[in-house]
Amino acid sequence: MSYFRITLQRSGIGMPKRTQGVLKALGLRHRMATVFYPVTPEVAGQIMRVKELVSVEEVEKPLTKDEVRAERRPDPGFYLETAAPR
Amino acid sequence: MFSRAIRRSVLDAKITSTPTFPPTFLLPFGARYLQTTTQHIDPPPQGLDAPKLPLKSTPEQTNSVTSIANHVRRSVPLQPAPIAKPLALDPSITEMLPLLAAQPSHYITIHIHGKPYLVTAGDTVRLPFHMPGVVPGDVLRLNRAANLGSRDYTLKGAPYVDERLFECRARVMGTEAEPLRIKEKKKRRNRRINWVQTKLKFTILKIAEVKINRLEELQRVGQESL
Repeated sequence: MSYFRITLQRSGIGMPKRTQGVLKALGLRHRMATVFYPVTPEVAGQIMRVKELVSVEEVEKPLTKDEVRAERRPDPGFYLETAAPR
Repeated sequence: MFSRAIRRSVLDAKITSTPTFPPTFLLPFGARYLQTTTQHIDPPPQGLDAPKLPLKSTPEQTNSVTSIANHVRRSVPLQPAPIAKPLALDPSITEMLPLLAAQPSHYITIHIHGKPYLVTAGDTVRLPFHMPGVVPGDVLRLNRAANLGSRDYTLKGAPYVDERLFECRARVMGTEAEPLRIKEKKKRRNRRINWVQTKLKFTILKIAEVKINRLEELQRVGQESL
């Protein structure tokens, strides 16, 4: 089963009430918020209503909130090679 | 405030004019007080067993890394598993890397937590944060580099240079603290004043080594792993 990965790229401020309602129904509260939904005709129709505001990707499995955060976090870039006696 | 700036500039001028300025700990107490930063050595965390840590003389690296995993605080990243993917080298890299390695001194743009630091061997880096879980004397391996270059050649990463091509090590020298900052917090129509004190600590690293690995060794290791 595949999922839509929907990210709100542009804010819904200034959009008609119907459009803002769709964003609310998708759970997209602020820009760059990411949600995952299974690929169904209902969700596809919702995406069509806000297609100018979101970016959509099809993924195999949904990520948790922590996993999405971990994607953005840069690599530490170092590791402890030799520890001093402590 | 202004007088402090003047005092500091005079102090700096003195330092630059006399190259044989004694180190801070030899100065009289008053002069030491004038220095803006102080050295803080953290006490080593308790519950650590020195013989189990990977010291320089330890021959087996894999065993020691697993043993320190239990002892060192989890906040320090430990050695990751070796990269299984064989090293795919561009023909231009195989051609030019020996030329880059042949030139004497190298610079490197290392990325620590995504922030770039352009350094060369012997440089002292004051990180803009306090690195938890390290003590002075620890050797860190820096494995994310955006650029690696010499006087005439630069190897650019996309976005990073392959970490098997080079070795960059840094030694933890200690921590440095900024001068105490006091911020006055006052709300309107209220006599209460709160003074917030801030004194942040910063970790000091010294770049111990910037080395470019030899291509023959890399290819030999790649063939052995296959």
